Amino acid sequence: MSSAPWSLHVLSEVLAAFTVRSPTALRDVMSRVAEAVDAEITAIMDGAQSDFQHCVGLEDHQKFLLAAAVEERLPVLSLAGVPLHLYWAPLDGGAVMVVGRFREAYSLEERALLRAMGRSIQLSTQMLAALKAEQEAKDLAIREATIDALTGLPNRRYLLAHLGAGLDPSSGGRLQIGLLFIDFDRFKHINDVYGHSVGDAYLQAVGVALGQFHDADTFVARLAGDEFIVVVASANIGILTDLADRILQCLKQPVKIRGRLLHYSASIGVALAEPGDRPQDLLDKADMAMYSVKQLLPGGYACFEPNMLDQARRKAVLESEIRSALLQDEVIAFFQPIISSLHGGVVGFEALARWLHPRRGLLTPKDFIEVAEDAGLLRDLDARILRDACCSFSGWQSVQKGFNPRLSINISAATLQDPTLIERVKESLVSSGLKARNLLLEVTESSLVKNVERAQHNILSLKKMGVKLAVDDFGTGYSSLRYLRQFPVSMLKIDRSFVSGLGQSYDDKVIVETILRMAASLGIQVVAEGVETEEQRAILSRMGCEFLQGYLLGHPLDSPMSDQFLARSERRRNWLRQPIV
Amino acid sequence: MTITDSATESASDVVAGKGARWVVVGSSTQAEAELAVREALAPIVKRADPKLTIIFCSPAHNLAEISRLVRATVGSGEVIGCSTAGELLRNHPTTGGLLIWALGGDGFAVTTGVGLGDPATGLRDAAQTAAQCLRQLERKEHTLLFLLADGLCGDQMEVVRGAYDVSGAGVPLVGGCAGDDMALQGTQQIHSGELLTHAVVAAAITSNAPMAIGIAHGWEPLSEAMLVTGSRGTTLESLDDRPALDVYLDTYEAPDEVRNDPAAFFDFAHTRPVGIARRNRTEIRYVYGADYELRTLMIFAEVPQGAMAYLMQGNATSVLNATTDVCALAEQALGGQPARGFMLLECVARKTLLSNAGLLDESLKLPSVASEAAVGGFYTYGEIARTEGSGGLHNQTVVALALA
Repeated sequence: MSSAPWSLHVLSEVLAAFTVRSPTALRDVMSRVAEAVDAEITAIMDGAQSDFQHCVGLEDHQKFLLAAAVEERLPVLSLAGVPLHLYWAPLDGGAVMVVGRFREAYSLEERALLRAMGRSIQLSTQMLAALKAEQEAKDLAIREATIDALTGLPNRRYLLAHLGAGLDPSSGGRLQIGLLFIDFDRFKHINDVYGHSVGDAYLQAVGVALGQFHDADTFVARLAGDEFIVVVASANIGILTDLADRILQCLKQPVKIRGRLLHYSASIGVALAEPGDRPQDLLDKADMAMYSVKQLLPGGYACFEPNMLDQARRKAVLESEIRSALLQDEVIAFFQPIISSLHGGVVGFEALARWLHPRRGLLTPKDFIEVAEDAGLLRDLDARILRDACCSFSGWQSVQKGFNPRLSINISAATLQDPTLIERVKESLVSSGLKARNLLLEVTESSLVKNVERAQHNILSLKKMGVKLAVDDFGTGYSSLRYLRQFPVSMLKIDRSFVSGLGQSYDDKVIVETILRMAASLGIQVVAEGVETEEQRAILSRMGCEFLQGYLLGHPLDSPMSDQFLARSERRRNWLRQPIV
Repeated sequence: MTITDSATESASDVVAGKGARWVVVGSSTQAEAELAVREALAPIVKRADPKLTIIFCSPAHNLAEISRLVRATVGSGEVIGCSTAGELLRNHPTTGGLLIWALGGDGFAVTTGVGLGDPATGLRDAAQTAAQCLRQLERKEHTLLFLLADGLCGDQMEVVRGAYDVSGAGVPLVGGCAGDDMALQGTQQIHSGELLTHAVVAAAITSNAPMAIGIAHGWEPLSEAMLVTGSRGTTLESLDDRPALDVYLDTYEAPDEVRNDPAAFFDFAHTRPVGIARRNRTEIRYVYGADYELRTLMIFAEVPQGAMAYLMQGNATSVLNATTDVCALAEQALGGQPARGFMLLECVARKTLLSNAGLLDESLKLPSVASEAAVGGFYTYGEIARTEGSGGLHNQTVVALALA
């Protein structure tokens, strides 16, 4: 039997050591080199500083001895009284690879072989460095693609992959996956009031706080904006609700950002995966539960229930139908008259949105306005009513005969801030021929006050055009009345809740009287809404409320019927004006 | 039945006096855990608190219960251990039993550590973590690191590499890979009363007297040297660019059933290992299976690509000699001091070969070992012994640790 030369062992095995598949496994390479040459010590040292990139076989306190030996190019170093024979393979930049073997010196054949291998080792090391850099670049790219840059938490992509693996039974996935959908209450307020940089700092603080809940079974990610997700691997409802409680308590703590203590709360939707659920299904369930919390009890949590799914589906269908209705002109303006308490004649109309639903018939805003608002369709709805009401109103024969009522149109907070509002109003006025002075735009107190800065430009522009501003539902919103001085308000509309109490509630009577006196002293006209009884009308007339609106005086009607209503009202008024013979 | 090395017990007192170093071994084949522990610990509890107690226990026992009982009995000393593929006492190999090996006395100091790995990433980091116990050890003149690792978790060589990363060349490594009575389903490790899998437990032992390691296997090359042209982890893919399985079957002239039946192959390969050529020795690798489709061999530890390899052969006599010689080899390295005790770590495949030849008890007579020296160990799935170089993982080998 022949025995292969020892040098051949070294050559083939050391070269093979550098073919390891992982570019990050430098320590594996060095271990294999040491094993191949039967050496105890291998090291790679940077030249100038004698720093160790890598070292196998020496304890920390022995390394300086090797560094000194390399510097002096000693062929043998005594360690604990035992000779360590050294060989160097010079590498680029003054670096050196050192191989040390105790007791037995390298033979001439071994030295020649190791020397000849120097270039290969160098090339291999360079290749490994290049591969390592490439791997690090890939790792960075993966990290950037999967980690949220703001909070450092896993991002949506990572979350979906994590959920996918957890929910996939074929990959050993567990079905007891639970999920918390965390959404901050009024987070937009932080951005609006303090700016986006403070908002971002707040989210970073939230990321740190939620990161404390991360453990082997609990995965925390940022989904988007102010939405965070917590995935629990071995969950039941008890575990999830307990965790939700703890997270809510944690998030209720004030956060100090740039010297300001910010107090905000979050709402949490809780859902437990069921067999067959995909990641998006589970997210949707928890989102629905979170949405229900927002509506009912912001700052708390709710667990998903199957009826939420039905509600969500109905909502989705309704949203789709609203979009279609706006395109198909199914949403039109109805008109409710506003009557003078002095002479009983019509002084104006309020345009109200109605939806001629192809299957469900005539729908009022309470049937669809909330969904439209959530879907961001209020501006489109307002624009549609503005255009339709102006066109219809100006086309009435009675108006063309010289009757001169005013047209009131509700606009939402979103429309009040809309940079295109002025253009839209101008277009509607031009195309309808309606005079600006006959147009009133009604806004609620809250939309006026909450969006002061953004709405100011539009309000002043409307004033310049001659369009008047009315405050709807007056008395139900803000206690401060400063905005009545700040904005050119022409009319207040007393909320129906005060009117309905007239004749029964002393408090309501006092409130209405106070509003009337205040408006009179500020030169602002007043309309009482929701007048439904003769008693209410009589009381309001006695109080001096000049304008009345309500079912007692006229229901909302479509355009042709409103035209007729106005004509009848004018005929009656003219007849009353005739002298009694 | 209780097998207690009572001779060792009495000799320790006579030779060393109270407070001096001692090594004691006890064992039991009782099936009931409490009885087994009581019997196996009987010679040990007579001593002052042991510094280190090592449990070698068949998976037939409830290791958690065994470990809890031992921990509760031995006091404040360190307790480690593992499951076995059989236990070793002088003259008396057992299967399904319990063996407890302990050392104590002022001349020894011990620290222990544990690291957890997993089959996907292997045990290198686990071994590195376990070996950190060396850093807590106040060293005397002689120090070594004793390792017990999961024998079925990745490449066993990684255990040596991980431990060597910490120990460096100055500290010998010795130990074994846990077994499971050849079920090859999973092994267990014990550290401080805790039962673990996919773990490495380590004991850093320091002594004011020498400790030495003997290594022997008795295998000889059957084939010419071959170049390992394909190797990935613990799969040997090709030798001299031929499928490794084909080379293996042809070289050993394997019968037909071995070429088709995995069970027959397992029995056949049990006594036909692969050898890796090293500078002044041949390291043995245990072939435990074959992939008939890919034509590869499955090995307990890596056969490095580029290495020179042999297919090995042995017979009962050569294997027997290795066992009987290894203790003498270790004792010779004690520099003339008498051995107080031995730890034997022997590959389970050798047990099969010797048993088939009716030489198993014979192999453990150990004529070179003084009768007062305690002897105990276990049948392993891999043996660790690094005294020179940076490798030191062996298969189908017997390793003896001798302590003066």
